[in-house]
Amino acid sequence: MNGLYIHIPFCRRKCRYCSFVSQPCIGPPPAAYLEALLSHIRLYARVDWLKGEGREITSIFIGGGTPSLYDGKSLARLISACRDNFNCRPGLEISMESDPNSLSLDQLARCREAGLNRLSIGIQSFNERLLKIMGRSHNRDQARQAFCVARTAGFENINLDLMYGLPGQSPDNWRQTLNEAAALAPEHLSIYELSVEPGTRFAELSDRRQLTLPAEEEVIEQENLTCSLLEREGFERYEISNFARPERQCRHNLNYWRNGSYLGIGAAAVSCLSGLRLRNVEKTETYIKMVRQGLLPLADGEALSKEASFRESVIMGLRLLQGVSLTDLRLRYVLHPRDYYGPVLHNLIKRGLIAMDGDYMRLSAAALPVANQILAELV
Amino acid sequence: MNNIRNFSIIAHIDHGKSTLADRMIQLCGMVSDREFKNQLLDSMDIERERGITIKSQTICLPYKARDGKQYLLNLVDTPGHVDFSYEVSRALSSCEGALLLVDASQGVEAQTLANLYLAMENDLEIIPVLNKIDLPAADPDTVAFQIEEDLGLDGENIIRCSAKTGEGVDEVLEAIVNHLPPPEGDSKAPLEALIFDASYDAFRGTIISCRIFQGMIKAGDTIIFMSNGASYKVEEVGWFDLKRTPRKSLQAGEIGYIIAGVKTVSDTRPGDTITLKDRPCAAALPGFQEIKQVVFSSLYPISTDEYENLATAIEKLKLNDAALTYQKDSSSALGFGFRCGFLGLLHLEVVQERLEREFDIPLILTVPSVNYHFYLNDDSLLEVDNPAYFPDPTLLKGTEEPFIKASILIPERYMGAVMNLCMERRGENTNYHYPTPGRIEFTCEIPLAEIIYDFYDKLKSITQGYGSFDYELLDYRPSDLVKLDILVNGERVDALAQLVHRSKARERGLHACDKLKEEIPRQMFKIAIQAAIGGNIIARTTISALRKDVTAKCYGGDITRKRKLLEKQKAGKKRMKTVGNVDIPQNAFLAVLKSDQ
Repeated sequence: MNGLYIHIPFCRRKCRYCSFVSQPCIGPPPAAYLEALLSHIRLYARVDWLKGEGREITSIFIGGGTPSLYDGKSLARLISACRDNFNCRPGLEISMESDPNSLSLDQLARCREAGLNRLSIGIQSFNERLLKIMGRSHNRDQARQAFCVARTAGFENINLDLMYGLPGQSPDNWRQTLNEAAALAPEHLSIYELSVEPGTRFAELSDRRQLTLPAEEEVIEQENLTCSLLEREGFERYEISNFARPERQCRHNLNYWRNGSYLGIGAAAVSCLSGLRLRNVEKTETYIKMVRQGLLPLADGEALSKEASFRESVIMGLRLLQGVSLTDLRLRYVLHPRDYYGPVLHNLIKRGLIAMDGDYMRLSAAALPVANQILAELV
Repeated sequence: MNNIRNFSIIAHIDHGKSTLADRMIQLCGMVSDREFKNQLLDSMDIERERGITIKSQTICLPYKARDGKQYLLNLVDTPGHVDFSYEVSRALSSCEGALLLVDASQGVEAQTLANLYLAMENDLEIIPVLNKIDLPAADPDTVAFQIEEDLGLDGENIIRCSAKTGEGVDEVLEAIVNHLPPPEGDSKAPLEALIFDASYDAFRGTIISCRIFQGMIKAGDTIIFMSNGASYKVEEVGWFDLKRTPRKSLQAGEIGYIIAGVKTVSDTRPGDTITLKDRPCAAALPGFQEIKQVVFSSLYPISTDEYENLATAIEKLKLNDAALTYQKDSSSALGFGFRCGFLGLLHLEVVQERLEREFDIPLILTVPSVNYHFYLNDDSLLEVDNPAYFPDPTLLKGTEEPFIKASILIPERYMGAVMNLCMERRGENTNYHYPTPGRIEFTCEIPLAEIIYDFYDKLKSITQGYGSFDYELLDYRPSDLVKLDILVNGERVDALAQLVHRSKARERGLHACDKLKEEIPRQMFKIAIQAAIGGNIIARTTISALRKDVTAKCYGGDITRKRKLLEKQKAGKKRMKTVGNVDIPQNAFLAVLKSDQ
C-alpha cells in the first residue's frame, strides 16, 4: 500500500467545464459525511492485510470536489484519523485540494498542525473575464490572497492548478496568467488544457455554438509557451500536465502514474490493490448508509490479468517524461516491452515516437502532444 | 382445373402488397391470429425492415367462394424492385391474372406501370384494386379515374379495399374467382413446366417453384431442363401452403414445387422449361433469358483474416441467390476478396447487408462498375467490369458503355429538376407525356453507369419522394472512358479506382478527394489525396497532420476510464484499412460511392 485517497464530493457550485462527480453545497458541508469517512477509515483499519509487513502509507491526498469547504477542526480530525489508523511512513506527503475562497488562516494552521504539508489551490486563471466564463466562485485577488494565506500558515509545498485553451483565450492572455503564477513562486504547477467533456455546461454551449475555443494552432502556441516559460522559471515538466521544482514532484500522483497501489476512502473513490480495482458507491447517501451499517461501501470492481496490468503500467508510465522503468516492469510482470509488443513497439521507435533511454522507455518530445495516438497502440 | 386461379399482385413499393397478401391468407383461414405476424411472405429481416420483397414466394390459398364451390387460389408473390424485373416477368407468365394494387393516396407509380406492361405482354387479365382507402389522404375517385383513363382499364371492375383494416378484401377474393380465367392445359400432353423461382433448403437442396402448363409430373419421373439438358430424378412434388405440402402429382394448370436433387439454386434458371426425359415436349416455353448481371463490385473483408469466412458466407448466400455471381479478386490495398455481379444496386445492397448481418462480416465495397466494351487496335473486343483490367490507353481504339431507357413518373412540378438531373447524368433523347393532368412520365436514354452512381437517391431527394423510376437495358453506345485513380500519399488505392466518362472525371475526382478528406481521420503526418488520370493529377486535397491528441488530466480514479477510451481508439483503428502508412476507415470507401445529398 502506498497511497491513501480521500474524496470530498462537495463544491460551492459546479464549474462549467467540470465533469467530475460533485454535489453543490451551500453552507457548511454535511457532518454526517465526515463521520462516515472516519468510520470508513476505521473499517479499513480493521483489515489486517492492509497493515501487513511492508504495507505503509507513503502519501495521503484529500481531493474533491472542494475539501477545503470543511473547517479546520474537521479536516484535522480527518488527517489525524488517517495517521492514527494506518501505518504511515514518517515524513509522508499529505496533500489537500482547495478553492481560493474557502481558505482561512485559522483553518490552514489547524490542518498544518495535524500534518498537512502540501496544499493544492485551484486557481485556473488570473483573468477576471475567464474566471467568470468558467463559472469559478472566486476572482483574481482572492486567488492571490489565498496563496499568501497558505504561505502565512506555513505551507512550503504549494501547487496551483491552471487551465489554458479557454474560450476566447489568446496566447498573450495565457502568458499573463503564467507570469502571475510564476511570480507567486509556488513549488508545483498542474497545467491542464481545457477539454470540453460531455454533460458539462461547456458542452451544452458548444453544441449551441456559443463557445468559441482557440484554434488548434493557438492552443499549440499556448502549450509551447507553457513549457518554455516554466523551464526558465526553474520548473521541470515531469508529467504531461505537471511541472515541479526539484524534489517537489507530487509523490501521491507519481504513485498513480507508476500504477502503484492505493486505497480510496469516500464516495466514488477508487482503490487499486496490485491489479485489483475497487470503486466505491457514488451517491453520498448510499455511502453514508452503508458505512453506518459497517459495510465496505463498494460498488464494483475489476481484476486485471497480469498482461492487462502490464499494459496499463506502460500507458500510465509513459505519461511521465522520465518514462516507465524496464526494471520495474520486469520485477512486477516478468515482461519486457520489446518482447511483448514486438513490431508495434519497434515501429514506434523507428518513427521516433518512443525512445529507449537506458532503463527507461519514454515518449519522445514529438510524441507528447499526440500521446493518445501512441498509447492507443500499446493499450 | 376450373377451380384453380393463378394470380400475382402488381404494386409499387409501399402500396401494401404484402399486407394484402397477409389479409388474404388470414381470410382463407390458413393461419390463426396467434401465429400471425406481419408480412408473412417476406421471410428475410431485410425484407420486413425495408418493406420490400426480394425473393418471391408462392402460396396456395383454399377459398370457399360465395357460389358455394371450393377454389384453389395460387398467389405468386413477386419481387418489388426494378432490379428484379426479369424474375417478375417469369412469375407473371405463370399466371392467368394479376391484381393491380394502387395506393389510393399515392396513385399509379412508374414501377406499377412497368410491371403492368409486363403483365399485359403476358396476356394477363387485370383486376385493379385501390388499397388504403381508410387513409385520410386517400382519394379513390381520382385514382380510379387515373386507372380508367391512363391505363385503359375498365373502371367498373375497380375494387376498393383496405388491406390494413380488412375492408373489401373478401371482394378481392370473389373477383379473383369471377374475373380471372381458370388455367388451360392438357394433363395428358407431354410435360411443359415453367421454372419461375427457386429457393434453397439445407436438407432437400433446391426447391423449384414452377407452373405446369401441359402434362403432369410426379415423384420418380426423370426430368430435363431444356436450357442445358441437365436431367434429374424427381423426389417430391407438392403445393405451397404456408409450408410445403407433398402431393402425388402436379397437373396441368397447377402451381407447385419440385424437389429433384438439384444441388444449388444456380443450377436452375428462372424461365427455363422442365419436361420429361422419356416424353419431351416439342419446344421450350417462350421468354427464357440468361440472367444478366449489370452492376459489378468487389467485396473485401475489413480484416484480412476474415477472407475464409467471407468465402463460406458468399457460397452460402449463392445457394439461394441465383442472380449473384462471384469470382476471386485481389487488391494490393485490400488483400483478397471477391468480384461480384449483381442485378442492380439494390441487389448489391441486399447482398452486402445480408453478409454483414447474417454472417457478421464487415465489408469494404469497391466503386460499383458496369460492364464496358473496349475495342483494341487489333479490333478485338475486351469486356471489362473491373477498373483493374482497364487496358493500356495507347492500345485503345474505342470504348462503349451500356445505355438504358429510364422511365420516370413525377408530379409535374418536379419536371425541371428531373430534366436537369438526367442532363447532368448524360441523358439523351428525352421525351415526356402526361398520363394524367399534373403527372408526367419522363423517358430518357441514359448510361447505366450514371444510374448506379446514386441516381435513385438523388431522384428521391429532388422529387421529395414523389418520383418513381424504372429502367430497361437498351444497347451499347460509343463512349469516352478513362480510369480515374485515387492516390493516398502517392500510393494508388486500387479499390478506389473507377472507370468514368472523361467529361465526369474531374468532378468525380474532386468529389472523391473531398469525401476522403471528410472521412479519413487526421494522422500524425500530412496526407495528400490526389485524383489522377494516368500520370495527370486532376484534383487534390490535403489532410493536415494531427498535432494534438492527449488527455490533460489523468489521476487514480480515472485509470479505468482512460484505458477504456484508449482501447476504443485502438478498436477504431483496427476497423481501418492501412494503405501505405495511412489508415482509411470503411466509411471512406463507402462515402466515395455516394454523391452529396
